Amino acid sequence: MKNVLLIGAGTMGRTHAEAYTAMKEVSLRGIVDSDAAAADKAAERFGIRAFGSYEEAMMELDAVDVVDICLPTYLHREYVLKAADDGKHIICEKPLAGSLKDAREMIDYCKDKKTKLFVGHVVRFFPEYVQARQVMEQKGLGDIAVVKASRTSSFPRAWDNWYADASKSGGLLLDLSIHDFDYLRWCFGEVERVFAKAYAPESPEGGGYALTTLTFRSGVIAHVEGSWSHQKFTTSFEIAGTEGIIDFNSANDNPILSFRKAPDKPLEGAAVPESPLLEAPYYRELAHFLSCMETGEEPIVTAEDAYQALAISLAAIESSRSGMPVALA
Amino acid sequence: MIKIGVASLAHMHAIGYMDALLEIDGVELAGIWDEDAVKGKEIADRYQTTYYPELEQLTGSEIDAVIVCSENVRHLECVMAAAKAGKHVLCEKPLATRVEDALAMIAVCRENNVLLQTAFPVRFQTSIKRGKELLDSGAYGKILAMKGTNRGRIPGGWFLDREFSGGGAVMDHTVHVVDVMRWYMGAEVTNVYAEAASRFSEGKIDDCGILTMEFNNGVFASLDCSWSRNKKFPTWGDVTLDVICEFGVLSINAFNQKMSVYSNENGVSWDYWGDNMDLELIRDFVQSVREGAKTASVTGEDGLRALEVALAAYRSAEDHSPAGIILAH
Ligand SMILES: NC(=O)c1ccc[n+]([C@@H]2O[C@H](COP(=O)([O-])OP(=O)(O)OC[C@H]3O[C@@H](n4cnc5c(N)ncnc54)[C@H](O)[C@@H]3O)[C@@H](O)[C@H]2O)c1
Repeated sequence: MKNVLLIGAGTMGRTHAEAYTAMKEVSLRGIVDSDAAAADKAAERFGIRAFGSYEEAMMELDAVDVVDICLPTYLHREYVLKAADDGKHIICEKPLAGSLKDAREMIDYCKDKKTKLFVGHVVRFFPEYVQARQVMEQKGLGDIAVVKASRTSSFPRAWDNWYADASKSGGLLLDLSIHDFDYLRWCFGEVERVFAKAYAPESPEGGGYALTTLTFRSGVIAHVEGSWSHQKFTTSFEIAGTEGIIDFNSANDNPILSFRKAPDKPLEGAAVPESPLLEAPYYRELAHFLSCMETGEEPIVTAEDAYQALAISLAAIESSRSGMPVALA
Repeated sequence: MIKIGVASLAHMHAIGYMDALLEIDGVELAGIWDEDAVKGKEIADRYQTTYYPELEQLTGSEIDAVIVCSENVRHLECVMAAAKAGKHVLCEKPLATRVEDALAMIAVCRENNVLLQTAFPVRFQTSIKRGKELLDSGAYGKILAMKGTNRGRIPGGWFLDREFSGGGAVMDHTVHVVDVMRWYMGAEVTNVYAEAASRFSEGKIDDCGILTMEFNNGVFASLDCSWSRNKKFPTWGDVTLDVICEFGVLSINAFNQKMSVYSNENGVSWDYWGDNMDLELIRDFVQSVREGAKTASVTGEDGLRALEVALAAYRSAEDHSPAGIILAH
């Protein structure tokens, strides 16, 4: 039985809570949020205890094995170091940090304190992405030539509107496209060069759009679209090789599309797609991390991978500012 | 009756253009020249027109205009011959393979008072025209970024021989979408970053590429110009354009008026049922000739501007650095 303490009751905190609640070998001991209403609401929904701060929770709870950090990105470092000081194993949402310096410090700190650090690059647990990689490995697409990956959504308006502040979220190249950067690196190895163009609005309304080209050492050319300017959340990828093509688009490939009319507003409402699975990708990810803690096995995505993904995002940001390609070491 | 000749059948589009001529009232396909006498005679017979063994015989005959469908590097000699004989010209894209050739073509047509139109059929595609209308309505606000694709199957023959084509996929597939982007915005490309590679042609020529462009109105755009559709892909290729705007996103997939046909012999194919853009292109050119228009609706300069982008892409792909464009006049 693993005792987990969740920090952050926002979108990701609740998503993780849902996954833990469904796990037999896990006891979710509590949820921490500085916003008491958010903490209480989540605590009630999942039948767990609410705390106003990490310190309070650690004082009150006797047995915590794992601290899961679902805070805005700029707070990751502070809480990873705190949890490591307390000798807890740590699961931290992606991106690990906003800078390579912070990320390296966090990784080294956890090593020093002999606690394990896992970073939630969840795309490696989405079955469609896992399978595309398997198809490449098992059936082969020949020589991979051009790869496209896209992740588009509306602007995430969250607590304190922290996503709109690039100094807190890093902007969409750090927050959103990092998912695809990590996935592509998992599939195609190390990146040689990065070139990116990005648009970021100045208004608190959010938005933004970025196009990145990654050139891998293997010669694969990948193009990544990231958007906070669309309406619906959509992910897609296409991998074109000399022997075959893999193509996936979440907008088309859905088993359920539900459209329900509100009795009082029969002309309104939108169709909502759903892709149900027995085990959601977040469940698979968190269960895997917990099992790695138990067995000591190397996780599918390591903290070092998270560091490298961050390096790609930061190179893309640098390129989008300088107008020049950025070589990765 | 407007009489039109075809100079060379080297480019497969010649057949589509001749079919279009047959469908338009008041137009006659009045002769064909091709180096290959056997092929030339056979096609001329099939289309019940005259075969000329020499280019000057065709351009010197009783015709009003010439459609040039030779190998790219030979557009120059065909356009020269036609213009000097006082015939209007519709020239297959890319207009030329070198800036100086394009300039010479523009000059000779101007001196001889004949029209020079670059064959950019995509401008005449109904959905692409509708996209222009929607954007011009102002409802989407300012354009911020664009993402385009023009992918296809790898062609054979002279297309893979730089001596005749001037380049591979980047030369062949950059120009269509760049032309549409320029047309939509009334803006010019200032610099291009490109990653290009040779994967599908056994190293013969560049066959995949991702371009990122900056326009003089501040918009950035990317373009996948790869010959990455394989033999079993359900269709020949695509033209797509996503336009990210201040007040929304316009997503155009120009040939997505299709149905899937499944056959035991050929698997799945997408059969297109939308309007025929080649027919509309030819109709437009014929109308300009008939009305004695001062300039073509899509000019030699338009062809030159698109060519400059393709050439800059090659420079960039070589240097791994953005290549600036100084508009030639
Ligand atoms: N893996 C994914 O698919 C995915 C998706 C979205 C977000 N994320 C990442 O998850 C993290 C959280 O994002 P989110 O969208 O859930 O944010 P959110 O704004 O929805 O939630 C953050 C919560 O943290 C609370 N908080 C702020 N400061 C605090 C503090 N000092 N102590 C305790 N609570 C505090 C806020 O009250 C809020 O409830 C980010 O790093 C983000 O990049 C990952």
